[in-house]
Amino acid sequence: MATTAERETRTAARAERRRPLFARWGLIGWAAILAAALFLAWSAWTVWQDDPAARTGPEHTRDVVLRSARQQIAALNTMNPAEVDAGLRAWLDASTGPLHDQLKRDEPQNRTKIGKSRTTAAATVTGAAVTSLDERAGKAKVIASVQVELTLHGGSPTLQRKRFEAGTARTPSGWKLESLTAIPAGAR
Amino acid sequence: MKQRAMKRRSTMQRPMKWLLMLWQPFTVALVLALAALALRPAAEALREDENPRDRAVLDEVATTEVTGDVSTALGKVFTYGPGDLAATERAAAQELSGSALKQYRQIFGQVKKQIPAQRVTLTTRVVRAGVVSLTGEKARLLVFLDQTATRAGEPAGTPAAAQLVVTARRDHGHWTITDLKSA
Repeated sequence: MATTAERETRTAARAERRRPLFARWGLIGWAAILAAALFLAWSAWTVWQDDPAARTGPEHTRDVVLRSARQQIAALNTMNPAEVDAGLRAWLDASTGPLHDQLKRDEPQNRTKIGKSRTTAAATVTGAAVTSLDERAGKAKVIASVQVELTLHGGSPTLQRKRFEAGTARTPSGWKLESLTAIPAGAR
Repeated sequence: MKQRAMKRRSTMQRPMKWLLMLWQPFTVALVLALAALALRPAAEALREDENPRDRAVLDEVATTEVTGDVSTALGKVFTYGPGDLAATERAAAQELSGSALKQYRQIFGQVKKQIPAQRVTLTTRVVRAGVVSLTGEKARLLVFLDQTATRAGEPAGTPAAAQLVVTARRDHGHWTITDLKSA
């Protein structure tokens, strides 16, 4: 016959066995698990939301600089005498700072020059690369090789190759050219 | 007296015991939290494998290295005179590979015949170079060159401008040119 003590331990053990494992984890244990699970869910959601195409940071800046510089260098080498106003506006839109000021100052002369020459220029950038980028200062340098198709009024087009070094600067309305220098053969 | 001591010990042990009892849920919580922290780096590594990061311009050391290697190679390969054709050919075999080497040999085959008779020296200087893209072990560059042809005994000729889009690959820490196209 078992003693009272023995019987007591046996019933206690049986009660233990009947209670499921998790029941002993308690409110605090479950709270910790819930918090961790929520953290995991939130983390998964933010990683999922992150679109690699919408990357920000320097990589994105460099690509934006290159893309806008290509467009603007082409614009500054393009002119259709039939649409001088639009052409000159495109020049001003593409530029900022010293280059913008210079273009604005020279606008009357440029207008008469274009009217006299009656040459259509259509430029394509055949290659471009960013050579330096200072994201904090909002400045970058780009080199580009350009092919300009020149058509004298009624004549057949001739191709001209040019190469440029451009300084670009960040403005409230995007990156724009603040300098554009031709690099002819033999230049330093 | 003895009983009271035992009682005190058991009350002191209770929070300890209680914490020990919770080690299982805390471990589960810890594993979940660690998984959450590892999620972002893991996803980024996966994405990086899919489309590797373009380090052009941003990684200054790598950009300078590829620009330097490619500029030096172009200078060596496109600078030659009647006296050093063999050396130039050896340099080309070292610095160029793939379609760039094939292309170069085609041109150089003709040049080799003309150079000794004309006694012309061609000098190539890199004026500007920029890295268009730099992913993994592959790079694309835009290079502006000035080429000057000089006849023996005459003053240096006027330089001509050339623009190249260069594709390069990194092997054993050195960049070799795999493709050349005029831009």
